[in-house]
Amino acid sequence: MSIYIIPLLLIFLLVFAKVKKVNVYNTFCQGAKKSISLVYDIFPYIVAIMICITLFRVSGICGGLIKILSPIFNFLGIPNEVCELVLLRPFSGSGSMSILQDIISNYGADSYISRCACCIFGSSETIFYVASVYFAGRKIKNIAPAIIISLIGNIIGAIFCCLFCKII
Amino acid sequence: MLASLLVLLIIEPNLIINTMINESKNVVALCINLVAIYAVWLAILEILDKSGLGEKLAKILSPIIKKIFKTDNKEHIKYIAYNLSSNILGLGNAATPSGIKAIKSMEKDIPKTKFAMLMLVVVNSTSIQLLPTTVIGLRASAGSISPSDIIFPSILASLVATIVSVLLLIIYNKIKRGKL
Repeated sequence: MSIYIIPLLLIFLLVFAKVKKVNVYNTFCQGAKKSISLVYDIFPYIVAIMICITLFRVSGICGGLIKILSPIFNFLGIPNEVCELVLLRPFSGSGSMSILQDIISNYGADSYISRCACCIFGSSETIFYVASVYFAGRKIKNIAPAIIISLIGNIIGAIFCCLFCKII
Repeated sequence: MLASLLVLLIIEPNLIINTMINESKNVVALCINLVAIYAVWLAILEILDKSGLGEKLAKILSPIIKKIFKTDNKEHIKYIAYNLSSNILGLGNAATPSGIKAIKSMEKDIPKTKFAMLMLVVVNSTSIQLLPTTVIGLRASAGSISPSDIIFPSILASLVATIVSVLLLIIYNKIKRGKL
């Protein structure tokens, strides 16, 4: 059922545009054209932020931080096995995805740990990447409060994921 | 970044440049993918824009957006509406270009819109969505009996997280302005 939602919305949009006498072909091309300049603009910022994140991981600082923070997360009801996922998720989409896949293959798709992990992955975001892309080249400074609040939000989300997965 | 570099200098100095270049290569590959993905979504967004359907969507969502983002500008509301609805539908790849558009259009009205810009990041970070398609797909391929049974806890948890983060930002904003 759910796989039909997006295609149906798309068809609805195209029919609607046709009724409104929009030149769909030209409009589509105009939009698609903007893609290259958009990526061109954000590319240097993604390179910079991704290098920072990778160095952070390769240097072992990230691992150390995870070790220090794990007991605190345990205390908040987040199982040990998914701590790494919660902590890596804001930094790396591909890294946290591979942790998620490991968890699913190690514990089985229907285990409590896997359900928690999936839930956490689905309700969180690679905050540092998103923030760097959104503010790429923008003049606004000091977005730190938004990032800190987002991190807190993700941790709260993780706590409630573990709670809701237990009772539902 | 400096701390990471210092640690690496001690444990494995030859890794530094290699790591940086390798990651840069990864980003180039990622960006080529993004050009493809954003081309499709920006094209669809353009049609949404030109057909006037986007304005209708914005009108439906504008009461909520006005309240949370504290902005009255029609253009801002429209792009925020695109961003939110892409997120809700689980279309992360459509949410990013519309989010960038929203930030770009809001930048013209700084500092009035600074709060809304920060709010956009906060709301995006908990990625509220009706159908977490990626993880459902993952579970289905791993042989789960009911891959979609995480939908309900997911929605509830991200709802709680979103509400808490939105409130936190509002409180922060009030403290900063000295109203609390």
